[in-house]
Amino acid sequence: MNLLEIKNLKARANEKAVLMGVNLEIKQGEVCALLGPNACGKSSLAQIISGNPKYKIIEGKILFKGKSIANFAPEKRVKLGIALTWQNPPSVKGVKFSQLFKTTLKTKKRFPWTQEFLEREINVDFSGGEKKMSELFQVLFLNPKIVIFDEIDSGLDIKKLEIAAKIIKKEFVAKNIAVLLITHSGEILKFLKPDFTSVMVCGKIICKEKGHKKTLATIKKHDYEKCRKCLLADRQ
Amino acid sequence: MKNAENVYWQIDNRIKQICLMDEAEILPINKAWQKYNWVKKYFKQKPKQGYFIWIKKQSKKTFSTCVSIANKNTKQKLENLLVLEKGVKAKIEGNCNSLKKDLSGIHQATGKIVLKENATLKYNHTHSWKEKDIVETNYDFFLEKNSKLNYTYKSFSSPQKLRIKTTLNIFENATAKVVLMADCEHGETNIKETLSLKEKGSSGIIKLRLVGRNNSKISACSKVLAQAEGKGHLDCQGILLDNNSSISLTPELLCENKKAQITHEASIGKISQEELTYLRMRGLTEKQAINLIISGFLQ
Repeated sequence: MNLLEIKNLKARANEKAVLMGVNLEIKQGEVCALLGPNACGKSSLAQIISGNPKYKIIEGKILFKGKSIANFAPEKRVKLGIALTWQNPPSVKGVKFSQLFKTTLKTKKRFPWTQEFLEREINVDFSGGEKKMSELFQVLFLNPKIVIFDEIDSGLDIKKLEIAAKIIKKEFVAKNIAVLLITHSGEILKFLKPDFTSVMVCGKIICKEKGHKKTLATIKKHDYEKCRKCLLADRQ
Repeated sequence: MKNAENVYWQIDNRIKQICLMDEAEILPINKAWQKYNWVKKYFKQKPKQGYFIWIKKQSKKTFSTCVSIANKNTKQKLENLLVLEKGVKAKIEGNCNSLKKDLSGIHQATGKIVLKENATLKYNHTHSWKEKDIVETNYDFFLEKNSKLNYTYKSFSSPQKLRIKTTLNIFENATAKVVLMADCEHGETNIKETLSLKEKGSSGIIKLRLVGRNNSKISACSKVLAQAEGKGHLDCQGILLDNNSSISLTPELLCENKKAQITHEASIGKISQEELTYLRMRGLTEKQAINLIISGFLQ
């Protein structure tokens, strides 16, 4: 049984269509990668799966363990086990991480953060790298069954990227937690070997490969031009 | 806070406790009026109710005051005087509240707060009223040469009517930082603050942080009056949570000295949907997320 199943999902943000009929399946413990050019709808898909009310579903289904969650509030989806690391998390002025965790965390896990970090305001004056690591650590404490990493590799230097990949392996992959890696560059795939790799172009997933090597090699060589041509050919 | 720690504790119109201290003299205001001639200059006529706190020496202790309404239809009319002697540093925690719902109490308080030369005061003033209470405060601060004031006023459960008037008279090289935070529900809130730069080197900042929700009406007028070469700034911000409430912010700058620098900024907005969604994706309910964002705004 699929843990997460997206069926012919069409959605819009304000009046703009962002998803044009997305199909995706992820099983428990699977690592899937979703690649695509800028503004193709990858982050929108992540936000829609997580319940961002900014997006409106026009058609299609989001099933989690076979049940529709399309009308669930974001916090209810978190409770079910869907966690998302944001590509650009917003700053919340005046609110410290310690206040957030006091309200949300019921786990007995040890914090990987220093007291100094906990006393910082959420994402205020964080560097790009700090934001990514903070996002990564936060989802650890949500007891997820699936984690969507939205561009976790962008803005991280190679050393930090390796660390992030190690944490994802140890804390999620090794614990049979499903992972959806959304990435533009595919950098992180050098360290995390996905079971499947899909490519999204213009709000649609146009191909799926077992493994990742062929897709990544094509993108490295042709950028996403070849993928766009594939989509055009498909439409014709 | 334990009541035993209060240096002045009043319930309804009855003084429950006054502490004897080495560092300070604390009296009912009418007794102070009789005892000291200099007290009379702060009042037009003999005050009937209120506290007199005269801090004469340095103290590590926080001076706490508590004025509560416990019985229905109580009307309080306090006239307070707080004086810090030269060079003294002190911390005050002032609490005024209603102990039960539906008491329909009236709390009126006027106060004179005098910081003598080189004195430093950190004053946290917290109001916690119920829906049917009516509250009016009128505080005048006098900051003498080189004195420093850090005054924070918080109102987290608003009464039916809240009127706050604060006047800061700042003299040579004295500085004031005033932060006023109010989370207003249901009632009417009227705020008037004036920062008066009276002598060379005087400076001050007034920060307003106001939240309007559930049929509340807020009107705030903040003013800097520069009569001498000094610096003043107004920072007024409001968040409106629903369409049944309103906030009016009026910053006013009045300059009578060409060397003075006075500035202001004012904004009213709504809660960021992005922040709200982010916190909800960390497991908070919508209500928890709103409260957390508001608490951050009011920090």
